[in-house]
Amino acid sequence: MKQKLRLLFAAALTLAATYSQAQTADEIVEKYLETIGGKEKLATIKSIKMIAKGQQGGMEFPMTSIMEAPNKMVQSINFQGKEIVVSAFDGKEMWKTNFMTMKPEKGETEDSQNAAKSADFPDPFLDYKAKGYSIALEGEEKVEGTDCYKIKLTKKPVMVDGKEEEDFSYYYFDKENNVVIMQKQTGKKGQMKDLTVETLMSDYQEVDGIYFAYNISQKMNGQVMFSMTIDKIELNAPVDAKVFAYPVD
Amino acid sequence: MKKFSIFSILISFTLNSFAQEALPIKGDEIFGSMRARHIGPALMSGRVVDLEGHPTDNKILYAGAAGGGVWKTADGGVTFNPIFDKHNQSIGAIKVDPKNPDQIIWVGTGEIWTRNSVTIGDGIYKTTDGGQNWNHMGLPKSERISSIKINPNNTDEVFVGVLGGLWSDSEDRGVYKTSDGGKTWNKIFYINASTGCSDLVMDPNDANIMYASFWQFRRTAYSFDSGGENSGLYKTTDGGKTWNKIHNGFPNGKLGRIAIALAPSNSKILYSVIESEKDEDKGLYRSDDAGANWTRTNGDFGLVVRPFYFSRIVVDPKNPDIVLKAGLNGSLSRDGGKTFKNIGGGIHADVHDFWFDLHDSNRIYLCDDGGVYRSYDGGSIWDMVKGIPVSQFYQVAIDNQTPYKVYGGLQDNGSWVGPSSKPGGIENRDWISVGAGDGFRTFPHPKDPNIVYSEMQGAENIWRINLEKNSAKTIKPFPEANDPKFRFNWNTPITTSPHNADRLYCGSQFLHKSDDRGETWVKISPDLTTNDPAKQQQENSGGLSMDNSGAENHCTIFAVNESPLDQNIIWVGTDDGNVQVTFDGGKNWNNVTANVPDLPKNTWCYFIEPSSFDKNTAYAVFTGYTSGDFKPYVYKTTDGGKTWKPIVSDDIKSFVRNIKEDYKNPNLLFLGTEGGLYVTIDGGQNWSPFKNNMPPVAVHWIALHPTEDALVMATHGRGVIIVDDISPLRQLTKEIIAKDLHFFTTKPTKMAESGSFGGYARMGEFVGENPSRQANIVYYLKSRHTFGKMSMEVFDKDNQKIADLPPGKSKGINYVDWNYSLKPPKVAKGKTIVSGGFQGPTVLPGTYKVKITKGNKTYENDLVLVADPKSIHTKEDRILQHETAMKLFAMNEELGYLVEQIDNHQTQLNAILPSLTSSKLKKQIPLAEISKNLETLKESLVVLKGDNYVGAAEPQLREKISGLFSEILGYTGRPTNAQLSSLKVLDEKLGEAKVKMEGLKSQISKLTPAMAKAKLPEIKPNRSFEEYKAAEN
Repeated sequence: MKQKLRLLFAAALTLAATYSQAQTADEIVEKYLETIGGKEKLATIKSIKMIAKGQQGGMEFPMTSIMEAPNKMVQSINFQGKEIVVSAFDGKEMWKTNFMTMKPEKGETEDSQNAAKSADFPDPFLDYKAKGYSIALEGEEKVEGTDCYKIKLTKKPVMVDGKEEEDFSYYYFDKENNVVIMQKQTGKKGQMKDLTVETLMSDYQEVDGIYFAYNISQKMNGQVMFSMTIDKIELNAPVDAKVFAYPVD
Repeated sequence: MKKFSIFSILISFTLNSFAQEALPIKGDEIFGSMRARHIGPALMSGRVVDLEGHPTDNKILYAGAAGGGVWKTADGGVTFNPIFDKHNQSIGAIKVDPKNPDQIIWVGTGEIWTRNSVTIGDGIYKTTDGGQNWNHMGLPKSERISSIKINPNNTDEVFVGVLGGLWSDSEDRGVYKTSDGGKTWNKIFYINASTGCSDLVMDPNDANIMYASFWQFRRTAYSFDSGGENSGLYKTTDGGKTWNKIHNGFPNGKLGRIAIALAPSNSKILYSVIESEKDEDKGLYRSDDAGANWTRTNGDFGLVVRPFYFSRIVVDPKNPDIVLKAGLNGSLSRDGGKTFKNIGGGIHADVHDFWFDLHDSNRIYLCDDGGVYRSYDGGSIWDMVKGIPVSQFYQVAIDNQTPYKVYGGLQDNGSWVGPSSKPGGIENRDWISVGAGDGFRTFPHPKDPNIVYSEMQGAENIWRINLEKNSAKTIKPFPEANDPKFRFNWNTPITTSPHNADRLYCGSQFLHKSDDRGETWVKISPDLTTNDPAKQQQENSGGLSMDNSGAENHCTIFAVNESPLDQNIIWVGTDDGNVQVTFDGGKNWNNVTANVPDLPKNTWCYFIEPSSFDKNTAYAVFTGYTSGDFKPYVYKTTDGGKTWKPIVSDDIKSFVRNIKEDYKNPNLLFLGTEGGLYVTIDGGQNWSPFKNNMPPVAVHWIALHPTEDALVMATHGRGVIIVDDISPLRQLTKEIIAKDLHFFTTKPTKMAESGSFGGYARMGEFVGENPSRQANIVYYLKSRHTFGKMSMEVFDKDNQKIADLPPGKSKGINYVDWNYSLKPPKVAKGKTIVSGGFQGPTVLPGTYKVKITKGNKTYENDLVLVADPKSIHTKEDRILQHETAMKLFAMNEELGYLVEQIDNHQTQLNAILPSLTSSKLKKQIPLAEISKNLETLKESLVVLKGDNYVGAAEPQLREKISGLFSEILGYTGRPTNAQLSSLKVLDEKLGEAKVKMEGLKSQISKLTPAMAKAKLPEIKPNRSFEEYKAAEN
């Protein structure tokens, strides 16, 4: 009994020692990719379809999100039996449904051009160098009471109101579990300019060998603004290209 | 099996023993998602000390506040956001990197306008991501950084002027240089321990040329001294290696604070404002030869007034002859400094800095004791920024109204009363002025909601205000025939009594008591101070410029509190370090100062909190900052002051101003420090800084609401900040922290009732955050939930699930809001969206069950909703409202189902119609007619055209039912009779529509044999109503 106890203590100490070793940004990201399923597996993902429930200000609505390599996506909510596209990108143009007319409208040209540059699918950290992204370890911070590594991810510059700006955000990797539990981004445009949104990830679950955060909550100043709980994720299901395209009457 | 169980016992034993030892009961791990809210106000804003723009983008401007951090606008000054909330909130200087202006910004902390209430900085910071993250770059003991200059050709080379300590000698003063972007610093110029660098200017054309002004100055608690042999203006032409005095043309003798500025459009032209011995020498000096010779051009009041507060000159970037000078009102010259006019149409007094727009010099920004202002006409008329809540409260009090009101006094901005919540948020216009001048202690009469007491500096006035009658009566005590002159602190203590509602205390060197709201005063103590005559020479204070404002009054009472358990026990603390207590209502006083261990002599007793658990227990806090001692001093006595025990820990990083004992748990204490709020849950063994939406701002006073459990803080720089419900902190024990998940006991939620109107603030105006009106579900999580499912559901008494909520997953305390409403009804599909589909009926008061499912474990807790005891509605009204809402809820869904049936039938009919080719068949099977009738029916039920805005079509039954449903939900009391009869009408119409539908359905089913004969497909019945309701779509 005593012997066993000592062994356990020793094991715990070794574990603690491993954790306390300094890590580089690349090591943290490598470990993360490995934890969520491995690079090879991630690279096989060509499309992701998510069925979810969104919650905002006491309201609840079904959501669907479809993403396809390299950067196509459509996100819609169903409201009173109507399908409303909150955000869509067909590879060239951003668009969404106008809430007054229920008709599609296009986004600003520069936003579309920025979206075309995005290489976040299926995970921004996968082959980040090849994508022209860079990472830097910016220290450690506590997130929701949990010790995290803070990594700055810098993507290719984007255009903001006609001016080129750096595009970066911060990712917080849970030191114990090696997964991202928060992303922090500061708005660049319009009324969100200079306001920071914290996106918290939890409820990680496995789909075909890859872990996804099944709950994503957005906070501002510590207050939950929006929460999305995923019911189902389908990988590599056939997707009709039409779903991304700007609807023509 | 046996092995397994032993092993698992072993594991749990090990884990537990680990957990016991390593229990972290500190910081974020306790507070979790418990957060503060800010209510401002910003209508008077607060002292802003430095403005700094962007070198190429005139939409961007930074404002540094005296005690409220750094604020940025990116829209030319309409809206400002705080960007420095994790760090020291006292700002000295801001500088934007000229080469990387979007990324690199430097902030030097520590205000340099050295008034008595100024706080301290903790060094220099730098951001490399435009202000999202800041790194501390050193100079931790600099206290006050006056200027930061960057070599435009090599921006890793930065020069910093350190003004340094105000209250003590400091060898950290001088000019510092870094050549590696702030990693290392060298002190390149130093005069002595009492003379600091008050300004540093770099020639924009040659970074080797710099001008540095040095100022000899010192403040004590009772005096101020500006000037000396060592003040001077220096120049370097070799990048700071050598410095030479450039005084040719300056007055002889001692000099005081010297302002220096260079004309950006002609770097030979310099301006300097000089404080000197003789009045006729003071004023503005100009040099046209880069400092070699100086000529005095002006000595107006606006140029010479209070140099310690106003030594800033700003020159137009395009025109070297347009000069702005900070001052009581601010001055502007258009002739190179020969003559000046006062600016100041519409600004607060006490101007500290200016910024010219890059492209249009008529556009000027200014900052002063009342925030930031914009002028579009070259400085004649000014418009205030109403969105920078950096108000500097000295104190805060609350009352027992619902919602409770907040009272407090502000640095140079009067005294105010405002609501703690308001429909639409707490706006600037919701605050009522209850005092002029500098405001300090402001208290409501404990029983009469119309009466407020307030004061101005040095008790020049103490007012009793009648809010209802709009009158203010001066009620301060006067010396009687044999009394000496009364000495009142700048921040004179007045306070009310927990025992006698009409009682008021006021402290000079004596304690004064009134039992009739300030009409009659009785002196109930001898002089309780040290009465040291050496510390009472205020008429000689100021140094080269006399400055006898009352701010240096000393040997005065500062803290007064009557015990909540015994009105004869009164505690008094003085600014010269005495702690005095009486146990017989003032007949006898005990000076217990000597009993306080390890406390330097004459350390200011800032606050005494008599315990509400035991009358011999009290807490006292002391601050030594007025002698340069920044250590925290917090003590507790349990024997009426005979012995004191320190209750500080190393966790506390700055000096202390206030302490509040919880009303329910004597081990729960709240500490107001110069660096924010600290909390202990173990009687002071461990302290944790509270950081959730709470900057490390100076907390001067803390009030705790006895029934709402709201902690209300007077911050000296970020207005009033509130933590709405601290009750979970009372319940934390080591046992709870060891549990995986623990639900806290919460008070029954008083259900919010429908409000009136509110929310009319415009873009750029600050709106204070309201408390949550929802029910709080509060629990502690031992570790953050990251893997696997976690959900939260609410059930009613019949165990029916009525809500799904997103649970909080933070380690520590989690708060989840529930709006105690059912889900919205499923409304009929139409062309447009209806309001009734956005909300569900509010549930009735009662007990509900909350269930958290985490992995394969579930946790349950009751949640009790009660009607607001102050409700204007009866129970019957509330039930009628609920029943009406539920009836309309059902009607919405019945209609939705009806429309679904129509659509379903139409789809099937439309598929068949083309098969009905012959006219015989058409006659025999009249589906076309039925389809037409279905269409007509549908048109009477839902809007099928138009949009959600002005293209709206005539409303049909869906819109009418939904509209009435929204109306009923919008008022938490009895529906009107008109609404109830409208409900009847709509219900009848719905009934008729259902009958019509049944008729059409039976027509179809009668055709079934004929259709079968014609080999037409069968019309399939719709899914059931229950299936319809249960489905998401």
